[in-house]
Amino acid sequence: MLTSFEKLIFILMVAVFGGLTAWGFYQIYRIIRRGRPAARFTHVIPQTVKALLEVGLQKPMYKSRPILTTFHALIFFGFSYYILVNVNDLLEGFLPGYSTAEVSAGIIGLLNLLGDVLSIGVLVGVAAFLVRRFIAKDKRLEYNKDVLLLPGVAQGGIKRDSLIVGLFILCHVGSRFTGQALRLAEMGATNPAQPFAGALSLLLRALPPSAFAPAIHASWWIAIGLIVVFLPYFIISKHVHIMAAPLNLALAKQAERGRLDPATSPTNGQGQALPLPGAATLADLAWPRLMDAYACIMCNRCQDVCPAHNSMRPLSPSALEINKRYWLNANFNAFAGGASSPPLTEWAISPEAVWACTTCYACVRVCPVGNEPMADIIDLRRRLVNDGAELDSGVQSTLEKIGKTGNSFGQAARNRAKWAASLDFKIKDVRKEPAEFLWFVGDYASFDARVQEITRTVARVLKSAGVDFGILYEAEKNSGNDVRRVGEEGLFEQLAEQNVAAMSKCTFERVITTDPHTLNALKNEYPDYGGKWETIHYTRLLAQLIDAGKLQLQHKLSHYRVTFHDPCYLGRYNNGFNPPRALIRAAGCEFVEMPRNKENSYCCGAGGGQIWMGSTPVGERPAENRIREALAALDPSADGAGGNAKRLLFVVSCPKDVVMYSDAVKTTGNEGKIEVRDIIQLIAEAMGEGRLLTSNHKPQNAIPA
Amino acid sequence: MSNDVLILAEHLKGKVSDISFEMTGKGRQLAVAFGGKAVAVMLGSGAAALAATLGADSVLYVDDPALAEFNPQAYGRVLAALINDRAPRLVMVGNTSMGMDLAAGLSVTAGLPLMAYVNGLAAEGGALAATSQIYGGKIQAEAVPDGEACVVSCLAGAFPADAGRVGAGLVPALEQIASPVPLADLQIKFVRMIEPQSGDVDITQQPILVSIGRGIGGQENIELAQELAEALGTAVSASRPVTDAGWLPKTRQVGKSGLTVKPKIYLAFGISGAPEHLEGMRGAETIIAVNTDPKAPIFDVAHYGATCDMLDLLPALTEKIKA
Amino acid sequence: MNIVVPIKQIPNLTDELEINGDGTGLDHDALQYVLNEFDEHAIEEAVLAKEAAGGTVTVIGVDTTGELDGALHTALAKGADKAARITGDFPRGTDSHTQAKLLANAIRSLSPDLVLTGVQAADDRDGQIGPMIAAHLGLPYVGVVTGVAVKDGKAIVHKEYAGGLMGEFEVSLPMVVGVQAAHQPPRYAPVSKVRQIAKTAKIDEIAGDEAAGAGSTVRRMFKPEAAGHAEMWEGGPEEVAEKIAALIKEKGLLKG
Repeated sequence: MLTSFEKLIFILMVAVFGGLTAWGFYQIYRIIRRGRPAARFTHVIPQTVKALLEVGLQKPMYKSRPILTTFHALIFFGFSYYILVNVNDLLEGFLPGYSTAEVSAGIIGLLNLLGDVLSIGVLVGVAAFLVRRFIAKDKRLEYNKDVLLLPGVAQGGIKRDSLIVGLFILCHVGSRFTGQALRLAEMGATNPAQPFAGALSLLLRALPPSAFAPAIHASWWIAIGLIVVFLPYFIISKHVHIMAAPLNLALAKQAERGRLDPATSPTNGQGQALPLPGAATLADLAWPRLMDAYACIMCNRCQDVCPAHNSMRPLSPSALEINKRYWLNANFNAFAGGASSPPLTEWAISPEAVWACTTCYACVRVCPVGNEPMADIIDLRRRLVNDGAELDSGVQSTLEKIGKTGNSFGQAARNRAKWAASLDFKIKDVRKEPAEFLWFVGDYASFDARVQEITRTVARVLKSAGVDFGILYEAEKNSGNDVRRVGEEGLFEQLAEQNVAAMSKCTFERVITTDPHTLNALKNEYPDYGGKWETIHYTRLLAQLIDAGKLQLQHKLSHYRVTFHDPCYLGRYNNGFNPPRALIRAAGCEFVEMPRNKENSYCCGAGGGQIWMGSTPVGERPAENRIREALAALDPSADGAGGNAKRLLFVVSCPKDVVMYSDAVKTTGNEGKIEVRDIIQLIAEAMGEGRLLTSNHKPQNAIPA
Repeated sequence: MSNDVLILAEHLKGKVSDISFEMTGKGRQLAVAFGGKAVAVMLGSGAAALAATLGADSVLYVDDPALAEFNPQAYGRVLAALINDRAPRLVMVGNTSMGMDLAAGLSVTAGLPLMAYVNGLAAEGGALAATSQIYGGKIQAEAVPDGEACVVSCLAGAFPADAGRVGAGLVPALEQIASPVPLADLQIKFVRMIEPQSGDVDITQQPILVSIGRGIGGQENIELAQELAEALGTAVSASRPVTDAGWLPKTRQVGKSGLTVKPKIYLAFGISGAPEHLEGMRGAETIIAVNTDPKAPIFDVAHYGATCDMLDLLPALTEKIKA
Repeated sequence: MNIVVPIKQIPNLTDELEINGDGTGLDHDALQYVLNEFDEHAIEEAVLAKEAAGGTVTVIGVDTTGELDGALHTALAKGADKAARITGDFPRGTDSHTQAKLLANAIRSLSPDLVLTGVQAADDRDGQIGPMIAAHLGLPYVGVVTGVAVKDGKAIVHKEYAGGLMGEFEVSLPMVVGVQAAHQPPRYAPVSKVRQIAKTAKIDEIAGDEAAGAGSTVRRMFKPEAAGHAEMWEGGPEEVAEKIAALIKEKGLLKG
């Protein structure tokens, strides 16, 4: 179909633009190589198969925004299929006499049918996206005030990029589709395998016969030639995600979510010494973090789920990735060649934003392309702490307290087990006698006056169920989970070493804790420090005890309608979704899920050191937002007025949640409408307080029913 | 050695500080027990009239241009010379910004024991016993000097001030002298006074505070607390939830992320007593807590407590104060 | 500029303080010792002064706990250059007079330009060490200072009086300053740095002389009353208001 001259031009274009593109990809490779080493090349083949399957099914995208994702899927399927279509178009262009537009049977007929239908899918999808961005002006594409943005980003670079990419797809697919219609029109034929192009061809038959040949040539060039021209642009546009995203997913971190990457590495990817922990500049980040910048498509799903963003703080995980990419685009050759970036806190993310993160993992979990902006933030914190940057006064004084006394309350170590003093029985000192379970109590459960009663209830329930457990008394120190997440790696190591040393001297089989943060550190991070025990959350142990008949619930608490808040470090991080729900069911409460539950649970706002900070969010606090969500889900009016109304409970299973949500109930003015209860309080009530043993004695099964 | 009590009177910006009267009153009482005289010493330049307000047995006014403003070195030299000349039984200095520059140094140069942070002084059979408030107010230590003579530095507010003012019966002999030591070669030079920047009320400087917590309920109720504070001539302070909510400025926050206050009376209304808050107000002399929850931790640090509704209490109290 | 910072370890006041058996002192062994918070400010101000005008910062203390090194390592991690420890038979709770004399003797040989120390410590029953060190060394002393600026052999210091009023003094060096608060909050010393320094740093050891003694003897140590639970007032708002008003009156805090 193409003339010799056209063929020559096309080949020249492929050589020039293709060469440019190859060079661009090579530069991106060099850019990514500048990052710190990271262990990512284990299980490459199964990971790649998994990534391709996930991308193929658009699974990671369906974690949120199902309707928009469907439009994306239309584009994705069409675009993927277009690889075949484009090959066929090339053949049409280069093989004289080769034409397939009218074929309706056999494999080519099928190719035509799919191409025709999927073309419409792509056009519909792109049109929907353009309408959403430029006409409906979806608010989710905007950033909070004070989010740090590079000038290029702030001046609408994302919009321009999106418009260019959108128009390109419209032209590419639209032109190819029109080309098919023109061919059918020229032949005066219809093709059942191309129903949509066929329909358009009926209109196009009105064209003068002399117009068809140039129009077909033009449509070929706009469809195929355009790709070639656009290839180098892809390198610096958001469209590069079609390459980077699958790669990112294939090379995603395989360790437990709750195990942070090491703070230090001796060298960067190019062998330059990196003696300091964490990251200050781009090249200090691990290489997957540089790839994140290319994988990001700027969809802002991460900020949708970000508690800092939603409380109007100046943090947007996606803005961080976008700033990184814009900076890299502007300093493409220089950075690939070894230049260093200014500190990230000057242009990629503000220090305020770095300190606003609750490390809830929601952004990482929801990201369809496998980005880990939270890892950047923790590395930035690590370096800020190391460099003696001015810290939030609350964080600093808490770290100093933990350093001095081993707990975040600054209390003397010998006061750690004071909560247990008012129990009628003595809890085993696991340092002195063996126990089946070592109960690692944690700071809030030990010291906070609002939580201690709950801690005692846990002790009484366990004792009554005949569980053999002991505690470390003054030898227990803060587990360091949040210490590590505010970036104080050295203090975390010290705490981990001290706790592991103390625990190593004891005889026990498993570790239990009520604190999800402690659970995370012990389960996922202590093994690196020699602490290789099985650590479980008390909800899991209680569920096991009920299953085994060792813990019998006498009363059905059907007068409660409850909802359950999944703590980040129990749920999203450690997959502890089911035991709390099983316990609530066993207690006979009416259970209602909040819209955001399990993997999609919404952070209370305490994690990552936030509970120690003095800073105040501008907007609604995460915990307040959650209480309102719970009240809407529990619907206080459901039972109508009068005496039949059930009591509404907000059930938690984390000592910090008790504190956060009790406060939030008060600050939202919902006292009397909803109560915060720890799950253990439901269990104790269902067991019957009177049946709960409180003194040294026989196990539960010795009590007559 | 004489049996006299030497009291260093302080003055700042033309005003005799209360601590001077407090020590003078106590000093006179002790001097009687020792069988000596209470001698108040004031250092200054051309302000002898100030010294005449001190109700001591006699008042010594040391007049020198170098003493016009407080200067730790000049004060130290003059006092050391006076102690050397008069060999008093007891030297009383305020445990104040001025006195803290002097007492410990005098103890070394004059070779006298020092008992600091003193809030109690007694002469038992002619022997002195001093009680010091130490360890952030958590501990009282009653001590006796190893020899007969000693220096004490007294906490502000420890003794009644009225007993040290010139009263009807007492007209102290005022002796004005020049500096007994040369003051020309001082290494310390007073440059100027810097006034505090005007801004919001400084809650750390109020002798009494009306402090509110979550129990205030809403912004509309802040006024109730403001009215009480106005009647008491003080300011409203708050726990974190209140300032977080923006109901009061951050400068009013007491506690870990706010200010540490040590008023004579701290009225805690509707404050449950989170440890972060307690940290900032524990040092108050008297804490009165009102909270509907009898188990609120605030009652563990408060001296007096009540569980009535603060929103009813506030107007009732305002009325009583105004009356 | 040669800056020396004498420091003092004191009991952690968040601990429950217990009185010893004979009722004349604290049960020191049950207590955790920490650096005096004003000394933290003195260290910060010293490091700031060094950063502004150059020089070295030497931190020095009497090892009354056997744990002084931890505080010295932390100071080094914050930017101090040298550290020294005075050893001898000086138990926990060693009086200020003794510590001041020991420190003064050690500091004399360092011929400092500026000595910065915390204005006071919670256990200064027999007085603050700053003025005593100054007296031993024959140097001028200004305390309750919230800012030091050094220029041409002179220091400009700001001394706080009550109510936020401040006096500015110009002092010829050398001098001793009692620091109330540094220009900025004391910086955080990352533990990894402290641990690194703990492995490599050399701490000078100075043998101390005899104890000077406080010159006074504690007969009785006790906790002030009203620690524990509040005395609860029964009754409604009227009755409670009456009681509060009476108390305010009693304390002499009624205006007008």
